[in-house]
Amino acid sequence: MNNAEYFTTGCLAEYGPDMIPDLYKSASHLIYSSPASLAFNSPGASGFGVKRAGLSVPGSVMLLVSPGCCGRNTTLESVRDGYSDRFYFLELDDTDIITGRYQEKIPRACREIAGQRDEKPSAVMICVTCVDALLGTDAEALVKESENECGLPVAACYMYALTRDSTLPPMVSVRKSVYSLLKKKERRPDEINILGYFSPVDRSSELFEILESAGIKKIREISRCKDISEYYDMARANFSLVLDSSSNYAADDMMKRLGIPYIEIVRTYDIDKIDKTYRSLCSAIGAKAETEKYYSSAKSEIEKAKRKNPVFSVGETLNADAFDLTLSLLRYGFKVSEIFGTPSKYNYGMIKKIAAISPDTKVYSNLSPSMLFYDENENKCDISVGKDASYYHSNAEKILWADEIQPFGFAGVRKLFEEINSL
Amino acid sequence: MKNLYKMISPFSPDQSGAVSVLYELGGVVAVLDAGGCAGNICGFDEPRWMTKKSAVFSAGLRDMDAIMGRDELLAEKLKAACEKIDPEFCAVVGTPAPAIIGTDFDSLRQMIEEMTGKKTVCVETTGTKYFDSGEEKAYLDLFKTFAEKKFDAVEGKTGVVGVTPLEFSCLDADKKIRNVKGFENAVCFGYNSGLDEIVKASECEKLVAASPSAVKACEYLSAKFDIPYEKDRIYIPEKIKNKCENIKDKKVLVITGQFIFEKLKDILNKNNNEVTFASFFMTKGKTDYDIIKLSDEDSLTELISSSEFDEVIGDAAFEKIYRKFALNKTSEFTDFPSFSVSGRLTD
Repeated sequence: MNNAEYFTTGCLAEYGPDMIPDLYKSASHLIYSSPASLAFNSPGASGFGVKRAGLSVPGSVMLLVSPGCCGRNTTLESVRDGYSDRFYFLELDDTDIITGRYQEKIPRACREIAGQRDEKPSAVMICVTCVDALLGTDAEALVKESENECGLPVAACYMYALTRDSTLPPMVSVRKSVYSLLKKKERRPDEINILGYFSPVDRSSELFEILESAGIKKIREISRCKDISEYYDMARANFSLVLDSSSNYAADDMMKRLGIPYIEIVRTYDIDKIDKTYRSLCSAIGAKAETEKYYSSAKSEIEKAKRKNPVFSVGETLNADAFDLTLSLLRYGFKVSEIFGTPSKYNYGMIKKIAAISPDTKVYSNLSPSMLFYDENENKCDISVGKDASYYHSNAEKILWADEIQPFGFAGVRKLFEEINSL
Repeated sequence: MKNLYKMISPFSPDQSGAVSVLYELGGVVAVLDAGGCAGNICGFDEPRWMTKKSAVFSAGLRDMDAIMGRDELLAEKLKAACEKIDPEFCAVVGTPAPAIIGTDFDSLRQMIEEMTGKKTVCVETTGTKYFDSGEEKAYLDLFKTFAEKKFDAVEGKTGVVGVTPLEFSCLDADKKIRNVKGFENAVCFGYNSGLDEIVKASECEKLVAASPSAVKACEYLSAKFDIPYEKDRIYIPEKIKNKCENIKDKKVLVITGQFIFEKLKDILNKNNNEVTFASFFMTKGKTDYDIIKLSDEDSLTELISSSEFDEVIGDAAFEKIYRKFALNKTSEFTDFPSFSVSGRLTD
């Protein structure tokens, strides 16, 4: 059976949220590190993995404590601007792992790193891996010892790939780690944080105008903090705005430790949903923003695209949720022949709505071994959106939609359709 | 501090070496990990990944699988993959996780063979050694498993073991080798050749270990089929060869693999150079030259800061350390890219 496996959205809707097929469960089959979606298994390949994310703390350095295999990809990662001299490795050998003796070396390694740099780092992020997950290492105790030894703030980042399907997967946990160095400060009513991404939100988004209309003077994002002092000022926020649910755990922790509450508004490409979200946000924070012009501007680009009547293929390696983007496109009247995505009980609601409009849309899993046999000729696609969909559709027009600057709101929708219209 | 890397990144690990050997042979290869190891292998250590499809997968281990040692689940996953792909064989490549939980690879192999009906190779790598160690184990396991029968010798056929992108840092090493006089009929096992050539290894009139990782496999084949073997890198890039020919009366430090060094040494020694060889990687046999075994970044720093050299040949990844600690600041550094060090190909 040499073909790529899929289920249609109609099928998935019928199965229900408790009968998601094994095809979409990464723990129930071998996992294909498709060139299309390499970032799933090796986030260093693109975007943010635990290591790069951990270095979001301005001026920090990272000590990766692991066998050589876990640090290997950092060779290429470190070439990226600003990273070349921020990674250090404490390489574990067999004896280290058997005896656990390396744990005694970690505080000394932190001291050696801090001492050999011309400029002292602002913090040391210790990254531990599956090895420590299995050995049951008390990383928090190591953090305290290391702080005493090197005289710098130290935090642990848990690159525990084994816990990927748990309630606390590595990319959720690291979001808490990067804010864990904040210490309680007096809060300011006109300052807020944006949480969710490790790279900046596009400042041309109307979101910022809305926030400013509520009297907010300072909006901080970790990726825009110029130095550690600005990072520490994140503790002054009146509240945090969470744009990606992966940050809820970190936001909960900030609420408990620093008394900073949070509001979650999720990114969507559905302009009516955006409109509703903004109305709720405005009423919650007392903003009086006029967003009609942004709505109209996004809508006008959508209408332009409709003249071409393209069929889309939507991937999941992009700045969007594959199912949200698909549902939005379908509601605008476009056709979507296939989705590369991961159905779960969390997005089942959207799948059901997609199925109601387009029950024959196929849902492939990037991680399935059968993707070795994917044949682009089996599915009509005029425009592929996402790095993965674009890999699979060599003959289609491509929009990667995976820039580091994060699109949001009407501005995000407008820019996406501007790209579509420019093809 | 020992094993603390401040200026260079870790080199390709043993698990990448094992996959590099198995990559083109038509098997289903399961890297026994949670995903990160397989991702690193495919994304960083396997330059063929973007151009040549291969059924290399992650076992998708999760915490409870590791804690409970669910070998059966892996065998079931492999069986399911075999039903889709119909591979020539199955292979399992170890990582730190099975090393820590003490996976019994022998019984795992038996279980997979029973469940899938496919011959299975289990390479017991741990992620703590370098690529050459994984290559060595994979070659040996492969030939022990598949090169069982004695075939009639084919006149002029030479079997070359030890040619991988990690070792040769290029994607057409087989062509370059066949361009060398005397190797026109060479087959490079697992490099633009399939499992059939492994099975028919005994057809070769001569075997060549092109890298230290190939020596054990060659010794095994030589003993089993009574085929002579020799150690020979066969090919090195013309640019490096030319550079070495022009070095005269100098103190030269070479930081490469052993068989590469032996090729360079022959050239360098003709011009009255004083040659020092240092390597992070596997070395084999008694030699008529000294080998400085580098164990970590500190050992390289010590070497550089305690001896003076006029010329250095090695991967550019070492140059930063060299420039910082060298006694002779004016010495010349010639970049000889090593994919296993810096992830760069020679051309």
